Amino acid sequence: MEHLNKSEALRQGVLVFVFLAVLSALEFFVAIAIGSVTLLVTIALVKFGLVLYYYMHVYKLGATEDPDIDQHSYAYKLTTSRLGLWLFLLSDSFVFGGLAVSRFYLLGMTRPPLNQILGLGVTSVLLLSSFCMNRAEVSMEHGDRKNFTLFTSLTLALGLAFVAGVLGIEWPSAIAEGVTPSASAAGAIFFMMTGMHAFHVITGLIFLIIILRNGSRGLYSPEKHWGVEAATVYWHFIDVVWIFFYPALYLIGKIL
Amino acid sequence: MKKFFSSALWHGLLWQAIGWALGASFVTLIRVLMGLKPFATFGFTEPAWVFGGLVGALSFLGGSGVLTDWFKWAKGEETHENHQDPDGWEKFINISLDHKVIGIQYTMAALLLLVVGGIFSLIFRTELASHGLQFLSLQWYNTLMSLHGIVMIIGILLGISGVINYIVPLLIGAHDMAFPRLNAFSYWLAPPAAILLLSSMALGGFDTGWTGYPPLSVRAPVGMQMFFLGVIVAGWSSVLSALNVIATVLRMRAKGMTAFRLPIFVWAAIATSIIALTATQEIGLSFQLVMFQRLFGMGFFDPAKGGDPILFQHLFWFYSHPAVYVFILPGLGIISELLPVFVRKPLFGYRWIAMSSLGIALVGFLVWAHHMYTSGMNEYLRVPFMYSTLLVAVPTGVKFFSWVATIWRGKVTGPYPTAFLFVLGGIVVFLMGGLSGPPNATVATDLHLQDTYWIVGHFHDTLFGGYVLPFFAAIYFWFPKATGRRMNEALGRLHFWLMTPSFIVLTLLMMRIGLLGMRRRIADYDPSLGFDPYHLVMTIAAFIIALSVLIFFINFFRSITKGEPATGNVWNSRSPEWQVPSPMPAHNYEQPFEVVGEPYDYGLADSVYVKFAEKKTGGRN
Repeated sequence: MEHLNKSEALRQGVLVFVFLAVLSALEFFVAIAIGSVTLLVTIALVKFGLVLYYYMHVYKLGATEDPDIDQHSYAYKLTTSRLGLWLFLLSDSFVFGGLAVSRFYLLGMTRPPLNQILGLGVTSVLLLSSFCMNRAEVSMEHGDRKNFTLFTSLTLALGLAFVAGVLGIEWPSAIAEGVTPSASAAGAIFFMMTGMHAFHVITGLIFLIIILRNGSRGLYSPEKHWGVEAATVYWHFIDVVWIFFYPALYLIGKIL
Repeated sequence: MKKFFSSALWHGLLWQAIGWALGASFVTLIRVLMGLKPFATFGFTEPAWVFGGLVGALSFLGGSGVLTDWFKWAKGEETHENHQDPDGWEKFINISLDHKVIGIQYTMAALLLLVVGGIFSLIFRTELASHGLQFLSLQWYNTLMSLHGIVMIIGILLGISGVINYIVPLLIGAHDMAFPRLNAFSYWLAPPAAILLLSSMALGGFDTGWTGYPPLSVRAPVGMQMFFLGVIVAGWSSVLSALNVIATVLRMRAKGMTAFRLPIFVWAAIATSIIALTATQEIGLSFQLVMFQRLFGMGFFDPAKGGDPILFQHLFWFYSHPAVYVFILPGLGIISELLPVFVRKPLFGYRWIAMSSLGIALVGFLVWAHHMYTSGMNEYLRVPFMYSTLLVAVPTGVKFFSWVATIWRGKVTGPYPTAFLFVLGGIVVFLMGGLSGPPNATVATDLHLQDTYWIVGHFHDTLFGGYVLPFFAAIYFWFPKATGRRMNEALGRLHFWLMTPSFIVLTLLMMRIGLLGMRRRIADYDPSLGFDPYHLVMTIAAFIIALSVLIFFINFFRSITKGEPATGNVWNSRSPEWQVPSPMPAHNYEQPFEVVGEPYDYGLADSVYVKFAEKKTGGRN
């Protein structure tokens, strides 16, 4: 994939966001009106593919490089670090995969009674934060520090809103519905999945604070901003996990 | 002593104790404020112990200083890769970024844990020497038996990381691992993990065996939680170390080292790392779920709440079966790596061997439920898992075929070196383990064999032949590379000839009484079964093995200072690390090398494997 100029990158980011938003709305509609699991899984996979390619730039892993490149150079170490990060994400996805398997093993095609509006709400907030994160990274790539700071702060705020929404509103409301950690396996799975995800969001927020601070001190440049790239890819990874956890918890199956 | 009290290890331990106390006190304070019971049988309550244990492990990392560079990065400060370690022994108890130092740290930690695990087994083996309870209580028997399992497993994992860390960068011509700080971090997770595991003894122990199945693990004493925490911390060490190995092999190879010119041990390291990187998360997850079930009453495995204990077994074995391939693949890699050096012949079927390691690793992901034939899982799952398990025998058979064909008409002149003896011993013992495997994989016979001493004999054979004996071979073989001296051959041979035959006797008797109905993991047995003499012989064999290990340690520590100097290519190996003088300098090869031929063309004239770049002479500077 060739390098995009500033306006092309903006157009691509917006377009991908629109696709993701439409797919999420479609997903919600499919769950209510049709309830087809195949369709829901397909939509989740398409969203996953879009984020993986356009926001996480997975293709950068396959980039060819000069065979005589110096192993001590920044460019070489950057590619190695990128590989390391993706290996970490692969490993981490086995935690989430195990949780998803446990959810279907224990609950099958049923789901806990949860507040649908809240679920859709936090999902939208996370999706919007992913878009802002993409804008922040693209801004740094083009040396636009002002927008980098703006969009990183926005991502941070949306991430905080997501955590507050899940831990502060969603959890008490679920408990009020009788879905508590200790009442049933369904409650246990719900708190475990959302809790593990929220834990990752919180670590992502820490990375965002770090790049925001270092960015505002001028430590990143369009050529050298591995910290920004790593925090971005990690943030999108958190979004990818939610792309699967949201339908698994809120949309698939009959209400218990 | 002064050096010890200023070391990273000591600071880490100190901070772990402080963090543990603070964490536990914090939870206790909150409990007081909430009006809950602040203290229980073991002083603090269970949540306080668990939180304290977690904070303690994190404090160890902070206190030892292994995180310092990352904190600096977060603050936007530059760091340099400090390879200027001191010359003395104190570098091994301080933070080092040099993969060779870390490799030795891992190996020493592994040897220590293997000794601790071995002592546990000697204690309960003595108890088993005759029927009835002699000197152990049931709870202590169970705790020692469980700890023997897990301490040995963690010891093996550390030993694997040790050999891989030391050897792989040398074999591929890298100046270090891809992520030196992460490498140090992975190692420094091990000491707090070991302390957490062993602390379970002080907190009532645990009686589940190393598998920790609920519902028993939900009811076991607080020690259970320390076991879970310890395994989770050690698991992260394994995951991150595997990540590093894969990145190193993919990114740091010398020029010309294409996939099929990689040394066979590197293939094994890759295969083992693929499993460790991914599947390890599932054992961590399964243990975390039980921890949370105990702490918060979450009903994952509680049928009364709609949970299912079988789910635990699926998650647990999804790691814990492939884990045995994590243990043996590097060992089998060492066998394939060393055999051609000693018999002076090319390795037979190089590509098949390389692919068989990957094959075992990948098929290994699909066999986990063969541990669960009697668990009550759906019966129709038994047959596919039986076939996938039997499939593992194919790539394993490929390895045996290659070894036999490599040894065939090999030329060994003079007395067999100790490392070669251990390689041959590894092949024989692993063959016993391999042949006793299919009966357990086959549903019809496993229903009888499940949870008997047959199983105990089987897996001890696979782990001894697939890991312990090759690990000793690797130590005898690469000891001169690390120290510039050789280990004593006479003591080495004594070590081998005491250890291997007694081990074979031990496991054959285990299998025999297993077939006759001896259950595993029990503290006592019925005298009318007539097992007393067998158990007595097994106990004697176990003590002979312990004696041989003692001889090994005497040899090991004596040879570090008094061994016969060996700075050259002692084994007449083609491998690049032996083409330069021992011990290796800090950044490995002073001149980079290029791979120009096949790695295992032993005995073939004119075949060159690596060519070192010319020393820059003359000119400016």
